[in-house]
Amino acid sequence: MSEFEKEEKIKADLEKKFQAANAQVQRKARVWAEIEPAKLPEAMAWLKAEGYNHLATVTGFDEGENLGAWYHVTDTHLIVNLKVKTPRANPVLPSVLKTFPGALSYERELEDMLGIKVEGLPPGRRYPLDEDFPKDEYPLRKDWKVEEYIAKNPLFKPEAK
Amino acid sequence: MKIIDKLITWSLLKSPWILHFNSGACNGCDIEIVDALTPKYDVERFGMLLKATPRHADVLVVSGPITRQQAKRLRTIYDQMPEPKFVMAIGACGCSGGVFDGCYGVVPGSLSSVLPVSVYIPGCPVRPEAIIDGVVKMIQSVEAASK
Amino acid sequence: MSKITVPFGPQHPALKEPENFMLVLEGEQITEAGINLGYNHRGMEKAAENRTYIQNLYLIERVCGICSHSHTTTYITNVEELAKCETPKRALAIRTLFAELERVHSHLLWLGVAGYEMGFETLFMYTWRDREQVLDCLELLSGNRVHYSINTLGGVRRDISAEQKAGVIKRIDYLVERTNYYIKLALEEPTVAARTANVGKLPLEVAIERNAVGPTARASGLARDVRKDEPYLIYNELDFKVITHNTNDVFGRLVVRALELVESYKMIKQILNNLPEGPIAVKVNMRIAPGECVNHYEAPRGEDIHYLKSNGTDKPERLKVRAPTLANLQSVQYMLEGGWLADVPLVIAAIDPCMSCTDRAVVWDPKKGKKQVYGWEELRKMSIEQYKRRGVDFSKLS
Repeated sequence: MSEFEKEEKIKADLEKKFQAANAQVQRKARVWAEIEPAKLPEAMAWLKAEGYNHLATVTGFDEGENLGAWYHVTDTHLIVNLKVKTPRANPVLPSVLKTFPGALSYERELEDMLGIKVEGLPPGRRYPLDEDFPKDEYPLRKDWKVEEYIAKNPLFKPEAK
Repeated sequence: MKIIDKLITWSLLKSPWILHFNSGACNGCDIEIVDALTPKYDVERFGMLLKATPRHADVLVVSGPITRQQAKRLRTIYDQMPEPKFVMAIGACGCSGGVFDGCYGVVPGSLSSVLPVSVYIPGCPVRPEAIIDGVVKMIQSVEAASK
Repeated sequence: MSKITVPFGPQHPALKEPENFMLVLEGEQITEAGINLGYNHRGMEKAAENRTYIQNLYLIERVCGICSHSHTTTYITNVEELAKCETPKRALAIRTLFAELERVHSHLLWLGVAGYEMGFETLFMYTWRDREQVLDCLELLSGNRVHYSINTLGGVRRDISAEQKAGVIKRIDYLVERTNYYIKLALEEPTVAARTANVGKLPLEVAIERNAVGPTARASGLARDVRKDEPYLIYNELDFKVITHNTNDVFGRLVVRALELVESYKMIKQILNNLPEGPIAVKVNMRIAPGECVNHYEAPRGEDIHYLKSNGTDKPERLKVRAPTLANLQSVQYMLEGGWLADVPLVIAAIDPCMSCTDRAVVWDPKKGKKQVYGWEELRKMSIEQYKRRGVDFSKLS
């Protein structure tokens, strides 16, 4: 369809250059595709060079066997959504900071909320959880239950005066 | 009552100074609190002033569901305020947690599990008139208690 | 240099929220700025997975009180896309009306806050008094001044009557007059220029590199506005300009927001005078078929983007919210470095942080080996005093 020319071209390029799987043009201005984590930094650099220079955000997710993230990149007219999966047993993703310095907060969030190690992140304070939050609990994982956490950390008891 | 107590009560009734503390609020209540200072509602005509330090404040106005990280700091700020002091829980979040009740980031039971609360003002967000009403009711109860 | 531990904790009375900035000084100039984030994290994305789509409307609204409509509209647009429902035109128009009214109230709020940070308290009182007109409009139309909850799955909850329309237009006309005064002030008043010109510089390349959004980006000449780039609601039928400026500083951000107010007034009148007929909502099944979608929206502070994944039940599988201020924080770090300590409150206020952040700045002078913690109020008062000594004094302005 010539109506989706731009979308079809990006889809074809992603499939050819980065062996993107499950690529689809969902509707106007939305392209979704999945690539291997190892190809992620290269794909992001290529997208940026093509004019998709705004990394809108990174959405981490828990799919059971795999954890992963969607990288939503746009040139403000078309949003390309790239999915990368990594096994739950050892979740690791490469950082895209070299291409998108603005990704710092988003990648820290992947580490904090889902426990995905992002290789290449500079050391720094965690985000968004606070310092007191246990370091091995990952709230956004499906097996982490809010009720259990609240039960283990009951009513705040102020120090007796 | 001793003279000094009478003086303190009189100054509190005439001019309660407020310290505002935002603990994880969405800012809805906060902008309504600041709104209370602006020309349409103008609480300054009642002697209410917004202060920046707890040492000067009579009333601690807390908005938002109490996030766990803030609970400790809130307690400390309260301890730094000189007697007599009062605490106002602003909005549905301050009263009961509001929509955030059950989220892992907030203290269960909201403000009343951290501090002794004098006045609860419901609303989401609170209307500036309700804030004025709450402070007036609090002052009236202080007046009644001091008689 | 002896090591000094910085007391991070409860001892600091000015502490309001967990965000803080770590500033390394040389004399009065900032050589390095580190941002430590730790926002009011409440756990909303997790909570959203346990609530139905309709319940989430009220939860998502409270991500932010100042731009609540932005969040619900983006969210509900996602849900309606997944549900494949045809939202009626009239509902889209009403949503757009609220979106622009929200932009007006937010920019007026910001003008007041900027005035307050500069030391120009009269501006603060004027703009917030005028802002009451917008809040009256919102209350007239929706029943509440903040958190209007006008959206529902399939459309909007309330319709607009002829009397309400007249009431809104009357107040907007008053505001148009008042805004002309603010624009004149922003563009011509030398005291304002002295405080804001060349402060918080963000060149265009850096704005692009660090993915700045909203008026912060537009003041650096980056013409990015979701309303024009990917029109949503009924923006493709409205006549308005994208306002940019080229001074890359706080002054530019002031001008951009003031002129955006004028565009918003135009749009509000256009919408009210051309409201399409029809129903205000359609019925939608609560169980949404599995799917994923992403949508963005131009909130008053910039691009607000939501991702939603549904799983066939009446509760979402995954909801992601990225508010505009988060995207602008990397740019703030750049703006602070190389600047003066006295400019810190204004630079941070200039991105219009949606959560009253930075109540604490830790300032470190490596030469003196001294670490000092400033509360926001202290920083603000200090910056006003420093500028007064240079002759920038707002108390002489009417």
